[in-house]
Amino acid sequence: MKRLKILGSALIVTALATTGFARAESSSVINIGFTGPLSGGAAQYGTDVQRGIELAIDELNINGGISAGGKKYTFKLVSLDDQYRPNEAAINAKRLVQESNTPIVFCPHSGGILALEGFNEKASPKFLLAAYSSEPAILRQNDNLVFMMPPRYDSYFKTWTALEMKRFGKRLGLLPTTTAYGNAWKSGFSEAWKSAGGEVLGDNAVDYNTTADFSGVVSKALADKPDVMLVGGPSQPTALLMKAARDQGYMGGFVMMDQSKFEQVAKVLPLAKLDGTVGVFPFDRYNGPGVQSFKAIYEKKYGKDREPNSEVVFNYMGMNALARAMSLANNVTDPVAIRAKLADAVRSLPKSKQALSLRGLTPAGHLQFQLQAEIVDHGSMKEIDIPALL
Amino acid sequence: MIFATGLICDSARGACGKGRPRVHFFFQELLNGLVLGSIYALVALGLALVYGTMGIPNFAHGHLYMFGAYAAFAAITVLHAPYWPAMILAVVCLAVLGAVVERVVFRPLRKAPEVNAIIAAIGLLFFLEAVARLIWGSDFRVLPTPYDKVVNLFGFIATQQQLIVIAAAFVLMGALFYFLKRTLLGSTIEAVAQSPAGASLVGIDADRVATLVFAISSGLAAAAATLIASISLIFPEMGFVVLLKAFAVIVLGGMGSIPGAIAGAFILAFAESFSAAYISTSYQDVVAFGLLVIILAIKPTGLFTRAT
Repeated sequence: MKRLKILGSALIVTALATTGFARAESSSVINIGFTGPLSGGAAQYGTDVQRGIELAIDELNINGGISAGGKKYTFKLVSLDDQYRPNEAAINAKRLVQESNTPIVFCPHSGGILALEGFNEKASPKFLLAAYSSEPAILRQNDNLVFMMPPRYDSYFKTWTALEMKRFGKRLGLLPTTTAYGNAWKSGFSEAWKSAGGEVLGDNAVDYNTTADFSGVVSKALADKPDVMLVGGPSQPTALLMKAARDQGYMGGFVMMDQSKFEQVAKVLPLAKLDGTVGVFPFDRYNGPGVQSFKAIYEKKYGKDREPNSEVVFNYMGMNALARAMSLANNVTDPVAIRAKLADAVRSLPKSKQALSLRGLTPAGHLQFQLQAEIVDHGSMKEIDIPALL
Repeated sequence: MIFATGLICDSARGACGKGRPRVHFFFQELLNGLVLGSIYALVALGLALVYGTMGIPNFAHGHLYMFGAYAAFAAITVLHAPYWPAMILAVVCLAVLGAVVERVVFRPLRKAPEVNAIIAAIGLLFFLEAVARLIWGSDFRVLPTPYDKVVNLFGFIATQQQLIVIAAAFVLMGALFYFLKRTLLGSTIEAVAQSPAGASLVGIDADRVATLVFAISSGLAAAAATLIASISLIFPEMGFVVLLKAFAVIVLGGMGSIPGAIAGAFILAFAESFSAAYISTSYQDVVAFGLLVIILAIKPTGLFTRAT
């Protein structure tokens, strides 16, 4: 009985303490939600995205936060792990919105984003979805509360097709990873290749995460004698697959899906073996006015052992734009009001926050800038301008 | 270009069939299957040894393998050890870790129901993964190897490291077989496997054998990891990838049978690489595991079952 009493009073004390705590916080702290992979195979990716948001929040808070409607606010990041699963992302988003009152939820994978787009406008309360994924379908959901940060991957199709076909030939081999993203990329790019007059060979999609040795699938693909190969998945396995192809004597070009990054691939494969590869613009070439200051604050917080990448920088810029939109809207709780001011916020974002020179926001909520890609051309890396898709 | 040396077709594109030099292609896939089979065999050996002797399905085996890869990686990058000494160091580290795991995790559960050991193994797996992520982060890492050159064997392409994996698989299989069948220490393991009660009657210390088995199994995992990590990648979840396949292999071969594990490894690998080559890469696991189901339906105890 005595023990029960102690337990009871302990519970009451805890309950009081937590409610008191929450109340004290909600008066001046804005919670920002994040659901992404923090464990499992994509943990590093999720952590990078999280770091980008965190970096922006830290910087905002150190400078006294934002003022909206005559009041000062600081930010706090509330992160939940979804292990890259759409269903978990949906549950997490509901929890974030209901338990932590987050007006904004960040999600860095297309499966999760598309799941959240199913209810982010209808949920009560609603929330603004900050999407870090290049999947074009995100913009087709008629979602008025989405903010898509990275370039959509179909922007690259035309330019890359033209470049590779001209240099290597018309036969395209398919060796992408087997995720939903990989499949969507594959069919989109195949269409572009065909409509440019190319021939698409057999499908040799392979699970990049569970394949112990790529030699077999590469031999299979090479038997069709492709001129160009579509590859892509996480950077390092992609590099291994490309290495296996070069080892087996493949001399053609590679189209590298935007999940794979040159800076990571180049750690496994020397530039000479990457000749004729097209891929997304590597982070170390970002040339916006704010890139140096971004690198400096990143290094100050996280040290030198892990370099920043586009995941970090896009979410850093995104979080800054969102904070600014809250300030312009004089509203920190209503996602509709915040979204309405987002285009103004992007346009007026200080130069020091722009690691890439931003050009604005489309009506559908897609961040715009001068899009570039990269090609390894006879031993040197060259920039390619990519026309924006609207 | 390798296909210029095709045995049937000339080098002109589309000269025969769909332009595939068929015989050449077959042997290239055979070589690829051999590499894959060696990988599976190397991992499955340790798993079969532990199950065969102690009846524990060690779900943490893949993660001990992962630790082995990181140990070799640390030896090469931090201590600047050459490749082979790094491997020996990794084997020693993992043998010690394996012995500790047996002593701390599995020995207290020996008299408990079997399911307790299974749960413990799964718990160990998550523990090891979390520790690896804490120490090394979630990055993919590449184990540097001095054997990175491409070898052209009569027109068939493999890297030196792949050939080393095949050779090492056969050497380690032979060594394990010799150890179990021809040495006194190995015979004590065999004795415990056959009859724990009988073994203790003739004065064999079952505790010591258990420690020994875990040490050998983990050491083998480290050797396998050092060999394979050079053609693959090191990351905290790498254990899962091979563990599932290794379990399929030992189920196929007959739980706990060493020759069964070897046969199972190559059957699974050839099924995968040939179904990928001649049917579709999307169906390689379907075919491989379909075959597993069929074999088990015909012979439910696996191919090689230990006589009782």
